[in-house]
Amino acid sequence: MTTSITKLSEIPKGSQFIIKGFENQDSEYAEKLLKMGFVEGTVVERTSADISDPMVFSLRHCRVALRKKEAAEILVKTDM
Amino acid sequence: MNLNKIAIAGIPNCGKTTLFNELTGSRQKVGNWPGVTVEKVEGSMTFMGKKVTVIDLPGTNNLSPDTEDQKVAEKAIREQEHDLIINVVDASNLSRNLFLTKDLLARTPHVVVFLNMVDMAEQEGMRIDKAALAEELGVPVITVISVDAQSVKNAVSVLEKAIARDPEFLHNKKEASAFLNLSANDAYSRIDAICDKVITYSTKEKESLTDRIDKVVMNKYASIPIFFLSMLVTFWLAIGVGSIFIDFFDILAGLVFVDIPSQLLGLIGAPDWLTVFLAGGVGAGIQTVATFIPVVFFMFFTIAILEDIGYMARIGVVADRVMRKIGLPGSAFIPMVVGFGCTVPAVMAARTLGSKRDRYMTIFMAPFMSCGARLPVYALFAAALYGKSSGLVVFLIYLSGLMMAIFTGFLLKNSLFKGTPSYFVMDLPLYHTPKLSNILKSAWIRLKLFVRKAGAVVVIAVCILGVLSSMGFSDGKLTFGNEDSQESVLSYAGKALSPVFEPMGVSRDNWPASVALFTGLFAKEAIVGTVNALYSSMDMAESGAAAESEEDELDISGAVVEAFTSVGEGFVGVFGTLDILGVGLVTEEEEVIAEEIELDTAVFRHISRNFTPVSAFAYLLFVLMYFPCLAVVGAARQEMGGFYTVILVSYTTLLAWAVSTLFYQIAEGHHPVYGIAAAAVLGFLYLALVLLGKRGHDMKPAKGSAD
Repeated sequence: MTTSITKLSEIPKGSQFIIKGFENQDSEYAEKLLKMGFVEGTVVERTSADISDPMVFSLRHCRVALRKKEAAEILVKTDM
Repeated sequence: MNLNKIAIAGIPNCGKTTLFNELTGSRQKVGNWPGVTVEKVEGSMTFMGKKVTVIDLPGTNNLSPDTEDQKVAEKAIREQEHDLIINVVDASNLSRNLFLTKDLLARTPHVVVFLNMVDMAEQEGMRIDKAALAEELGVPVITVISVDAQSVKNAVSVLEKAIARDPEFLHNKKEASAFLNLSANDAYSRIDAICDKVITYSTKEKESLTDRIDKVVMNKYASIPIFFLSMLVTFWLAIGVGSIFIDFFDILAGLVFVDIPSQLLGLIGAPDWLTVFLAGGVGAGIQTVATFIPVVFFMFFTIAILEDIGYMARIGVVADRVMRKIGLPGSAFIPMVVGFGCTVPAVMAARTLGSKRDRYMTIFMAPFMSCGARLPVYALFAAALYGKSSGLVVFLIYLSGLMMAIFTGFLLKNSLFKGTPSYFVMDLPLYHTPKLSNILKSAWIRLKLFVRKAGAVVVIAVCILGVLSSMGFSDGKLTFGNEDSQESVLSYAGKALSPVFEPMGVSRDNWPASVALFTGLFAKEAIVGTVNALYSSMDMAESGAAAESEEDELDISGAVVEAFTSVGEGFVGVFGTLDILGVGLVTEEEEVIAEEIELDTAVFRHISRNFTPVSAFAYLLFVLMYFPCLAVVGAARQEMGGFYTVILVSYTTLLAWAVSTLFYQIAEGHHPVYGIAAAAVLGFLYLALVLLGKRGHDMKPAKGSAD
């Protein structure tokens, strides 16, 4: 396996990654996002909207804005 | 099966409220804002030949009791206050919607899914197999386009027929427990499996319309100018266009509720006190509310547009960079935008925010956004004193309000509302083409409920005020008919309290200005009327003329003609100059202003005699900040309870006094003592808030209850 893990806040515009998990799986923040579908294995894309903080992501056919610092809580990988 | 109560549930932005408005028309009891379903909202509709209650639950992503909205929804469902739940599901993002559906299925036996926005899903390249979805979920699925009245009718009749044909139609065909107590991970893997079976992707995903719009609207450089532009258009529509109709409503309501009744009462020889009460109290109260209607309606209208097209959520994103500095999420800016129209819905709109701390803090900041009712006061003083720079002065007042809101945010963050700053997660809905009929309907419903609620307060307040200003003592006897004279109880009270306002530049001789601040408690635009009336009565007293005002001849047709002409003139005024913010109102000639807000030109002479430009600015700062009107206090109490409402009222009033005094004393610096007193009040405020913050332990998020 040659998967590399990065933070969601680091991914470039228009790129697609797969959610791995959270820095802190038990945080309130993680709990809320999990319920919104940020579960392991979900494909997440940074949309072409180039506002840099908050950043706009798309997953499960929804667009969600997150702060850069808070998006750094979410870990993503390149493939399954 | 007996159906008496139907509840509507769905995630935010799924079109649930549109469906609810369509089903119930305006038969609603509480106002409803997308994403801000304040409480569970009730209405009624005819279903299967009889009247049933329809409950609109707050839009929630799930039923865990994380936020106020979700608590309300969860409680309503847990307590089984319904016989059927209509679950509105947005087809364009099925998996997020089904996450709520599984919570509903696990908790309640009768669910029917209304699959909404199928057209949007197709635009996004998805086709959903309705029958397969019904099979997977075990409940009926009916497609609907909630923005289309005919489609909603059809969906309801499909449901009626199916129930009539088979009473077991609604029974859940699957075991409810299938979805019970799943972790988010497990729930989504099941949902993903369902989605795989029911969705077929027709076209290859390309850049959607929403992404293309977001590319511009959420551009690094363009986002902020676009945001300001949208705010300007909002103001222009609400205040500029709305104010065209103010005179129309004012004149007609004055005719119907004040002039005609008092004339009639005079004819039948009714006693003075009755005329005072009915015409001067109730009638004048209704007239005051009526003048609100146009500005409030247009504010609701423009806000409905911003919501309907999906831009409101983007405002929250753009504002986040500033809001996070005071420890609030960008979404807290949305209630503040609403506050430029009217503070009452702004206070209610704070409901959307996750944590109690965020909500309370937003409610404390919202009254500093200058509402439509305060503009006439600024306009009057600006016209009397500032001439060509009137527009600038009014702009400075608005700006001061914004700055005081931010100041309040910083202050509260470090005192009353310490605690963990919340994070920011904002769903961005797809852009929709706005549909005029829906926007009008939603603005109309909100207006009706607003008028009903605020109307009651204002009518009562004006009644009390009318009686107080009419009641007076001469020769030790209680008399009536002392309106706006120096003999009324109200005038005595104003005179007695005027020393309080002396440090901010309102001299004791200028007692009408103090009295006006009291009438302003009821509704801030009442200040204009009071100042006008009291100054005119001073004139009469000076010239030795009899204090009784001459009866105007009742001229019904004249008044009606005047009402309609006012609309025409207003249109020319606003559209002729593209007058944003109604600035024209503050830059025109004195006579024009006087005519527009129906004042005697004498009032300008009095204002310029009694105020200096500096003291008038201090007075306007006070008007901007002090005691939010009674309707706001009512709304704040409903949202925060009495304890925090008392703090809010004391804080705004003391801050207003201290800031106005400090400004006046520094700018015209007469009394170092007053300046020091003002600084001391500010210090006291800070200290009190810190101490209260220590006491306010209920602000700390209880485990699992904060967002």
